[in-house]
Amino acid sequence: MDKDKNFKNQFREAFGQIHAEDELRANTKDFLARQINKKKAHTFPILKTAAAAACLLVAVTAGGAWLYLTPSAYISIDINPSLELGVNRFDRIVSIEAFNSDGQELAEQLDIRYMDYSEAMEELLSEQTVEAYLENNAVMTVTVAGSDEEKTDQILENVETCTAGHSNISCHSGDMAEMHEAHSEGLSFGKYRAYLELKSLDPSVTPDDIRDLSMREIQDLIDSYSGDSTDTDNSSENGPDSENVHHHGHGRHAGEE
Amino acid sequence: MRSEEEANRAVDLYGDTVRRICMIHLKNRADTEDIFQNVFLKYVLRTAPFDSPEHEKAWIIRVTSNACRDLLKSFFRSRTVSLDTLIKKPQEMPEDHSDILEAVLALPEKYKDPIYLHYYEGYTAEEIGQILGKNTNTVYTLLTRARKMLKTRLEGVTENG
Repeated sequence: MDKDKNFKNQFREAFGQIHAEDELRANTKDFLARQINKKKAHTFPILKTAAAAACLLVAVTAGGAWLYLTPSAYISIDINPSLELGVNRFDRIVSIEAFNSDGQELAEQLDIRYMDYSEAMEELLSEQTVEAYLENNAVMTVTVAGSDEEKTDQILENVETCTAGHSNISCHSGDMAEMHEAHSEGLSFGKYRAYLELKSLDPSVTPDDIRDLSMREIQDLIDSYSGDSTDTDNSSENGPDSENVHHHGHGRHAGEE
Repeated sequence: MRSEEEANRAVDLYGDTVRRICMIHLKNRADTEDIFQNVFLKYVLRTAPFDSPEHEKAWIIRVTSNACRDLLKSFFRSRTVSLDTLIKKPQEMPEDHSDILEAVLALPEKYKDPIYLHYYEGYTAEEIGQILGKNTNTVYTLLTRARKMLKTRLEGVTENG
């Protein structure tokens, strides 16, 4: 038994002298580090490329969708139905917003989303409801607003061409800031401009008073004030040109027809 | 794939054990370095977790033992003579207790691992059986025979020396 214990100790001592040499350890650690990094280097570029490609795809798609779906200009159409069409930079209608119940009804009847705005205008004018309004001597106002003046002017020009055959349609253009003011009052841009015009003649008018009036009714109100006073023509910067008001555009940029 | 830190830890922790098993089986430095690196590469590539540190050590021992056996068995090796043997560059051997080391090295292959695991690592016959995938009784037999062979050789050495 002692002999066996003695042997065991000697055995342990004998093998205890054997160690992995520092060089062997160092070489092995280097080798393993290379293998580990090689593996990483092999797997990561693929993942990175795939991730980058996926990100790019998402960005391009999102960017494209954003470019396509963001209106760069608005066309506000007011008869009694009040509608506002968002036009993207590719001249397509991307949004249709109704500002009153008549407008809502009209929006539902029209299938003009993603249509070129000129075609959409033709479509709108040939729509039964609109035709009926126009035949009944209604007043239709088309107001174009956009952040890019050149673009806005171009749209206005095209819209004027579309509406040229109708004597009771007037076209205007305005700026986005004014349009935002209109929206904060809950009015479409076209109606808001008419409201401003009326307000310059009768400061007591509020947006609520005219919200449900048709453009014809507002126009008649404006006419009645203009008719009453002879000097109103020059009294305000937005003052109406009463001779032209029914048939021609007026306002800051319009009325070149 | 384990991290570089894990790899370094394993080399530090099990380097000596692996080196000793290589020593009892292999005769030259280049083979030892090959096996040494391969064992730890296998460790790095093994992603399955170990149940315990004991499990991890047993795994390292088994992989080293198998790697040595595979190398010795390989066709190429059995029919070629390594450059190290030709230029007579055996592994350096410690001088103390060289009789015991030489006696272990002189044992037939199948006795080497059990004897090392039993006397140096202190494993029981049952544990050795589990590590090397052998029946416990087989391990007992191997140990008994190996002890006898060692005894004969060592007593011969002392008698002659």
